[in-house]
Amino acid sequence: MTARERRTRILQMLQLVPILSVLVILFGGALVMALLQSLGFAPWFGINTFPDFSYFGSLWGSKIFWVSLWLTLYYATVSTFLALVFGTMLALALIKAFPGKWLYKYVYKLPLMIPYTVGIALAVIMLSSGGVLSRFAAFAGLIDDPGQFPQILKTHYGWGIIAVYVWKQTPFITLAVYAVLLGIGRETEEAAAILGARRGAIFFRVTLPQILPGIVSSTLICFAFNVGAFEAPFILGGGFPDTLPVVAWRYFNDADYTLQLQGMATVVSIGIVAGVILFAYLWVYRRYERRMGRH
Amino acid sequence: MTQVQLNSVRKQFGHFVAIENLDLDIASGELVALLGPSGCGKTTTLRMISGLERPSNGAILFDGKDVSEQAVQDRNVGMVFQRFALFPHMTVEKNVAFGPSVRGAPKAEIARKLDEILEVVQLTPFRTRFPAQLSGGQMQRVAVARTLITEPSILMMDEPLANLDTKLRVEMRRFIRDLQQQLGITTIFVTHDQIEAMELADRVAVIFDGRLAQFDTPEHIYRYPRSLDVADFMGATNIYPGRLLSRNRVGTALGEIACPHQNDRSAGDSVRVLLRAEALDMSTGSVESGGPGFQGRIKARDFFGASVTYRVACNGQEIDVTENARRMRDVGDDVRLEIAPEQVWLLNG
Repeated sequence: MTARERRTRILQMLQLVPILSVLVILFGGALVMALLQSLGFAPWFGINTFPDFSYFGSLWGSKIFWVSLWLTLYYATVSTFLALVFGTMLALALIKAFPGKWLYKYVYKLPLMIPYTVGIALAVIMLSSGGVLSRFAAFAGLIDDPGQFPQILKTHYGWGIIAVYVWKQTPFITLAVYAVLLGIGRETEEAAAILGARRGAIFFRVTLPQILPGIVSSTLICFAFNVGAFEAPFILGGGFPDTLPVVAWRYFNDADYTLQLQGMATVVSIGIVAGVILFAYLWVYRRYERRMGRH
Repeated sequence: MTQVQLNSVRKQFGHFVAIENLDLDIASGELVALLGPSGCGKTTTLRMISGLERPSNGAILFDGKDVSEQAVQDRNVGMVFQRFALFPHMTVEKNVAFGPSVRGAPKAEIARKLDEILEVVQLTPFRTRFPAQLSGGQMQRVAVARTLITEPSILMMDEPLANLDTKLRVEMRRFIRDLQQQLGITTIFVTHDQIEAMELADRVAVIFDGRLAQFDTPEHIYRYPRSLDVADFMGATNIYPGRLLSRNRVGTALGEIACPHQNDRSAGDSVRVLLRAEALDMSTGSVESGGPGFQGRIKARDFFGASVTYRVACNGQEIDVTENARRMRDVGDDVRLEIAPEQVWLLNG
């Protein structure tokens, strides 16, 4: 390596320092601290039983933990899948010309700019048993009293949670897939149509493999968020047993601060589960990519 | 082999009229070029024939049958796109087998046809490669093979040589021409390059602003353009205003020029005189008084390898003369220019 190349290399490393510092200190440091606490290291609380796996033992040994995990994954997966279906359909529609498209292109992005908490409030206003929909149903004579309206919120089916996530994440996935669709253009779809492919074959054999990078990256982000988010399941969920982030929040919020270690074990468990699922997802995708000749 | 007819076809996008009352009659097995500048509507015409666009008015007929409303999948046409439009996630063989596969052909038949067509386009050694691993010419051949394997009744190509380098263009031009002649398939291609159109096509349809300006053999379009626009687009540079002195003699600023007998015009008519640069004979020496030809002096010289074009100042005008580059003249040389009457073409003035 020449002196000039060495200087360039050092300069490049220096340019990376700001982002690396944030990643290593804030993210990496927090991760290490969380792991240490979950293993019994919290001298500032007067606890130091490191290495102590009892927090994980009691958590994973409880049947409730697995119900909570199931609920967490169920809400995250169903919301991500529905947002993916709606987002992809919307993106496919947006690349076609239709009257008022310019307006629609702005309107569909609105949920992206509105905070989750506002979305949750909207869900309460619209979907609760005393909400707009129930009153409208009563007004229209579909039910005798708003109280008879089927319970959408605060059930373990999580319709409210799923609705908020889908409402917020559909435009996000649309944006990602739409950008990829614009990049690939319409020629391959047209070529497929001329070769005799019908709509289904065009989508599954030509379009989908090409928009997969956009789908994978956007669903990865949505799923990771959904697994870790706590406001929507806390406000709109069915109560005990809660999703894992709500369980962790309850531990952190307990008057007994020593329960924070149990909370950390819960957080680390969420991290492990989400990490394993996301790495498996990426691994499968990379294998597919290699099979498709993309390296 | 299919005959293609366009009857008063019109295409409008919003307020913009892309094609206006286009009539075209393409014979079975013919190779036709749609030629025109960018945005003239030639690609729109091709897309309407393929079924990717529906005409706003008029009819498109295949062998006399109206297919204007028929879905693209049901027309059995083939299209080679300008940027090839290969499926990037499929290997060469999967790209080529896509058509028969979506049409539900038996696997054994697909395999047999695939082997055959890959041989024809000389891509057998590359069958497991992905498009990103191919050169421009190879991608072009995959695109052609992918289309031909479906045995289309009409083959369409959108600027088929535009994305290839000069050497490959020559190769692919020959390849397309040979293949078309071998298969006898009705072929329509779009180009903005008049040389490409003339070299490949049996007939050329020149389109300007969505209207058909001329539909004729390459030779006729080149030698006998019907309008000033066509002449200009076909590369004519020596066009001068003139007036007919008699039915076979025209007066211009260059001097008097003998022309073919004008049945439809009479003395006194104002015309435009087209003198093809390569039709002019240039020699040293001077014009005898009252003799044929004009006297001039070479002002500039452009060397093109095989040919050389001189800009000659002549009676206050400038005239381009193209000669074989075997013999080179120098700037400043005095020359005599002559043109045979049958090489002179008159346009309405």
